[in-house]
Amino acid sequence: MTAATFSHTAPTGYRRQGFARLRREGALAPILAFVVFFVVYLIINPGLLTRFQLQTAANLVVPLALIALAQLVVVLVGGIDISIGAIMSLCNVVFASQLEHFPVPIALLMAIGAGLACGLFNGILVAYAGLPSIAVTLASAFIIGSIAREVMDRPGGGVTKEIYLATSGELLPFIPISLFWLAVIAVLLWLLLQHTALGRHIYGVGSNMESMKAAGLNARATKLAAFALSGLIVSFGAIMLAGSTVTGDPRSGDPYLLSSIAAVALAGASFAGGKGSIIGAILAACTLGLIGNLLFFGGINSYWQYVISALIIFAVVGIPVIWRKLSFRVKGVSS
Amino acid sequence: MSVTTRPLGAPQQSAAAPEPAPPGSAPRMTAARLTARIPRAVWPLLAFVVLFLIGGIVRPNLLSLDSLIATATFAMILSIASFGQTVAVIQAGIDLSVPNTIGFAALAFLTSVGPFGPVGAFLIALAAGVVIGCLNGIIISKLGLTPIVTTIAMNGLLFGVILLSFNFSELTVTPEFVTAITSAKISVFGVQMSAVLPLGLALMLVLQLVLSFTGWGRSLFVVGSAPDTARLAGLPVDRIRISGYALSGMLAAFAGIVIVGFYQQASATMGASYLLSSVAAVVVGGASIFGGRGSMVGTVGGALVLGQVATLVTVLNLGSNIQQLIYGAIILIVISLYGRKSGG
Repeated sequence: MTAATFSHTAPTGYRRQGFARLRREGALAPILAFVVFFVVYLIINPGLLTRFQLQTAANLVVPLALIALAQLVVVLVGGIDISIGAIMSLCNVVFASQLEHFPVPIALLMAIGAGLACGLFNGILVAYAGLPSIAVTLASAFIIGSIAREVMDRPGGGVTKEIYLATSGELLPFIPISLFWLAVIAVLLWLLLQHTALGRHIYGVGSNMESMKAAGLNARATKLAAFALSGLIVSFGAIMLAGSTVTGDPRSGDPYLLSSIAAVALAGASFAGGKGSIIGAILAACTLGLIGNLLFFGGINSYWQYVISALIIFAVVGIPVIWRKLSFRVKGVSS
Repeated sequence: MSVTTRPLGAPQQSAAAPEPAPPGSAPRMTAARLTARIPRAVWPLLAFVVLFLIGGIVRPNLLSLDSLIATATFAMILSIASFGQTVAVIQAGIDLSVPNTIGFAALAFLTSVGPFGPVGAFLIALAAGVVIGCLNGIIISKLGLTPIVTTIAMNGLLFGVILLSFNFSELTVTPEFVTAITSAKISVFGVQMSAVLPLGLALMLVLQLVLSFTGWGRSLFVVGSAPDTARLAGLPVDRIRISGYALSGMLAAFAGIVIVGFYQQASATMGASYLLSSVAAVVVGGASIFGGRGSMVGTVGGALVLGQVATLVTVLNLGSNIQQLIYGAIILIVISLYGRKSGG
């Protein structure tokens, strides 16, 4: 509410608008958290800025960032995707196994097609059958997971050194290629969400379904498109993961289910839909993904990463709520 | 026992779409009204009976008391792990911290058996579950975080705590007290079965009575289906939510102890398989994922259906992938029967 009025009263300079948008989308807290985290990281481990460390850190973070973006797109339309880990596993094994039989472009297309198909499957059931997304994707988590293990029952596949270099090598000295791919996908997604009708509809479906319908816009098609788009982004993440680990693994996506939701929460997105930013999701994923490394370099038992991740989420999401409650109480007294 | 509930203002979601009854179709209308009257928990139980009979047709030796007890034992462990989830889902939440609550409670139990004795350790483990649940409930109701995010973060936090605080190499001995109530064979009416089966049934009965016939139990349904109405009606919504999550945590902790006793082993990831399957059992048991609807009997029915599928898949040698595929299909069927949100 306050954010909306703020954007009206603010001078309409471009930077001012961008700031207002970030604030409205809840991205300020995760950006701040990332900056603090990054500074601490550099103080403890200045070695991050060496070529090798930059590359390994980027390879670690990029798949999570992509999956977080995929989860974000579904969350924007007010849904949630429990099957996102299974979709990732499926795309991962499809890519790795098809590389053994087909040239790279065909394997790529098949992996992307698998992600798209999973997204469409979920999307049709949610948008056109009117079923709750959490239940639909719970079912498809079982189904897609079993298909993934049917495609490949143990880690392996034909991922080659060339694919590693193309997904996880260096574009230029000090610029990991995985960050480049992430930037390309993020910019394309940003253009889609902010500058196309579909993108505005995706935000609209999440924030006010009734107005969307009243305006005669096709809310169902928008939801379907969001799920399909999400499946597409998951497949990119799965391909990046296959490249950086040089294998396909039918269980590789499992840990990404919980961490993608955690990253989206940390990004300040609203699980009711309609609110969430791309840059917030990426930086949240970077923060969560690098905590383990930071602890390692700080000489702390890296098991602490699980505790600290949870505390960061509670703090970043909870402090604004407490702040609002406190300021409301103070204002209530003064007025 | 009244299992279905229609709390304040909750729309009656019948399986079939509400069709205006044309005049002259009185018998059909009565039939529809009758099916709508049947408590939802009956359907999964019925589905289990059908699956059991199908099993008998496919493999006649499956149609035996031994096979029934074997399936029911497996299902009962899943049920015990899902009872807490049922409470969370009824009050329109979800508890994704079940897996590591199970792990934490089990390991806390085994660690404290030495110094505090079995009963002391049992109480400590349950208390740990209550604390975990309370924290979930406080964060959800006071900070306004969504249940999914809160319990996922709590699950992660517990995983860290488990890895940091337990010395796994020392945890090998399961105390007799626990095996006596879980894996020990006892004879009920002359039938040999694992003790966990009557234990789970008794727990189901107690919890169902609490849900159906106590004010607190009824208020869970109201909070789940219409929290604003409940607040206007003067119910302490936050306190009910927190206590609901506390019970959910305690039941997950109890499940951890039962699982340790039955399988005689504990590890950091022992609860992982219950993340999705506990929700699956609750959904197949007829609970609404939007809250306000669900029952312990239904959850046991849901677990029995999943358990019988597992038995059939094993007997037919189809492999665990097919089992997961069928689980997914069953959930889809169940939610398409009555998972639709009115107007959504």
